[in-house]
Amino acid sequence: MRAVDIFIQQILNGLSIASVITLIAVGVTLIFGLTGIINFAHGEFLMIGGIVTWLAVSAGLGFPLAAVLAILAVGLMGYILERGIFRFTLERPTNGFIVSLGLIVVLQHVVVLFWNPNQKSIPRPLTTVWEVGGVRIASVRVMVILITVAVVALSFRMITASRYGRALRASVEDRDTAALMGIPVRRYITGVFVLGSALAGLGGALLIALFPITPFTGGTMVMKGFAVALIGGLGNIYGAVAAGLILGIVEGFSAGYGFSQWTDAYSFVLMILVLLFRPHGLFGGTSGPRMAS
Amino acid sequence: MKTVLKLGVSAAFCLGSLAYPALAEDNIVKIGVVAAESGSFVSAGHTLPAGVGLAVKQINDAGGIKVGGKTYKLEMVKRDDRTDIATAIAATQELVRDVKVQAIFGSETHDFTLAMAKITQPAKIIHFAGNSTLAKILTPDSVKPGGEDHYLFQSEPQEFQRSGSTASGVLTLLEPLLGYKPKKSVMIVGNDATGQFLSSYYFKALKAEGQDVPDIIFYPPDTTDFSPFLTRAKSLNPDIIHFWYNGDSTLTALPQALELGAAKSYFLFGVDPGIWKEKQLSADVPVAMSCVPVCWGESSNPKAKAYFDAYFAAGAPHGVTSSVSLLYHDYVHFLAEAWEKAGSFDPDKTVEALLTLHHQGVVSDDLTFNPTHQVTHATEVCAAAPGGDISCSMQQPPAEAPKS
Repeated sequence: MRAVDIFIQQILNGLSIASVITLIAVGVTLIFGLTGIINFAHGEFLMIGGIVTWLAVSAGLGFPLAAVLAILAVGLMGYILERGIFRFTLERPTNGFIVSLGLIVVLQHVVVLFWNPNQKSIPRPLTTVWEVGGVRIASVRVMVILITVAVVALSFRMITASRYGRALRASVEDRDTAALMGIPVRRYITGVFVLGSALAGLGGALLIALFPITPFTGGTMVMKGFAVALIGGLGNIYGAVAAGLILGIVEGFSAGYGFSQWTDAYSFVLMILVLLFRPHGLFGGTSGPRMAS
Repeated sequence: MKTVLKLGVSAAFCLGSLAYPALAEDNIVKIGVVAAESGSFVSAGHTLPAGVGLAVKQINDAGGIKVGGKTYKLEMVKRDDRTDIATAIAATQELVRDVKVQAIFGSETHDFTLAMAKITQPAKIIHFAGNSTLAKILTPDSVKPGGEDHYLFQSEPQEFQRSGSTASGVLTLLEPLLGYKPKKSVMIVGNDATGQFLSSYYFKALKAEGQDVPDIIFYPPDTTDFSPFLTRAKSLNPDIIHFWYNGDSTLTALPQALELGAAKSYFLFGVDPGIWKEKQLSADVPVAMSCVPVCWGESSNPKAKAYFDAYFAAGAPHGVTSSVSLLYHDYVHFLAEAWEKAGSFDPDKTVEALLTLHHQGVVSDDLTFNPTHQVTHATEVCAAAPGGDISCSMQQPPAEAPKS
């Protein structure tokens, strides 16, 4: 295999890594950046999305329908948890953070209780592998990249160009004033939480299309999601995409050419440096919404 | 004064009886298990309580153990270490100090066991662990009476033995399937204490078999996307990529390796052919697998079928490393036999008995501990041909470690 083929393959690998991380980071950046809820159980939402997909595919449904079910199920779970738990922690984000840590353990053990701790996988929804020169491109990875691009673009448009998005950004700037202007702030917070959760559901479906998952898959993924969200700037979808790409390429190349065992460390070193020198992220973002008094 | 004395004697009696509650409560002997029933090591971890629990049930169903003229039943007390070393240490302290177990099994994670031994050994608790890293501390000095690890036993062969038998088996089984003698190997290894320890031995074993090993590629634990690591391996044009050592990670990596066409054949450490068949995995190149120590899916060991039938009937799930349970199950029976032979639960007499017994287990008909408290037995290696046929064989360990 020629060196140039290896190089191109590593770029494609980086793009693939970036797509999954970006999808998680967009969910994190929306929830954390726009509502102030620090939900570290977001990785478990992702895992639940994967489990729902696995259950649906095991029951004989096709992958597209299974992915839709995962989006709906995790979105519904997000709605219930926001209305039932997180909304009571909005005034005290630290409480929400601790609650989310507890949720990690609860959700993991619920899945272990019902479906045992072993790996779950589904047959690849697309199995074609294209060979271009010496480079191999798996169609399932292309599918994941394209879905991520489409979903992120849609979310970006919704936040930046729609009436809902403008109202949401106004709420982030000043909740009290936004409320006085007739914006139903609490309802918008619920909406963002459900949207972020649904994205995690989709992320889980795409993740299990690529790799087997376990009840404990969420941990590493959510840490990277938070790192990317902070590097890109909280609440900044464009920033999350750019940071996800940077991180994916850095991880791909470090594993391919550098000290492979340190691959995971780069994202966090980058996050620390960015937070030190650009506290609002590389591309600017919110500092989290001001809490209503 | 008499009253004070009476109170003192009563208190001493009460405290004395509290020191051995495990034996005082209806002749029950408590055995502790510390294992990962959650966290990233769960697939290996949950096999420990399953294997120990099965042995405890078998012994109790057969009437219990007779020690010093009394019959005792065994009771397993298990604790989940959540794949977290601090939790493992706390669980061990609780089992030793509060539950007062007579013996401890676990954990499956190598560095956790080393930390646990710091608690079990001063307390004179018989401790079994299927971790070859124990070789770091099991020396003639440390295991002698009064030594700091006198009550610690390694229920897995020494790593040069396991790595040697595995490397030999992998190369022997893959050669006819490849149609030529493989010469170049690349190892892909999880970067934690266990991975670093194990890979150093396997690297030497491959070199001793004449393999060119140009790179050992370490990946962070919990990696899911292996494509950059595999692309790096592919650039070296290997005959075999050897995946060590986490079975779950290996099963995650293999489909990606096949998509990338990373090598002409693969070896998956700790992946049972049963999982290969159950998940309907297939490959267009030969794939070798090894079990720790005997496979449940396609074994050449005559006792394995009966054991795994009972193991799964007891409710244990079909796991990628269900065979790890055998590094513990056999030793509960071994320990029970030692207690009966010693005629006592005294830890020193138990160690003496353990060192002189020859136990008939599932893994081997002649399980014995060497003077540094380590067992020796064969390892099963299997290979799946591109068509799907699987063949397995028990590989005997080398007599000596490779020189270099």
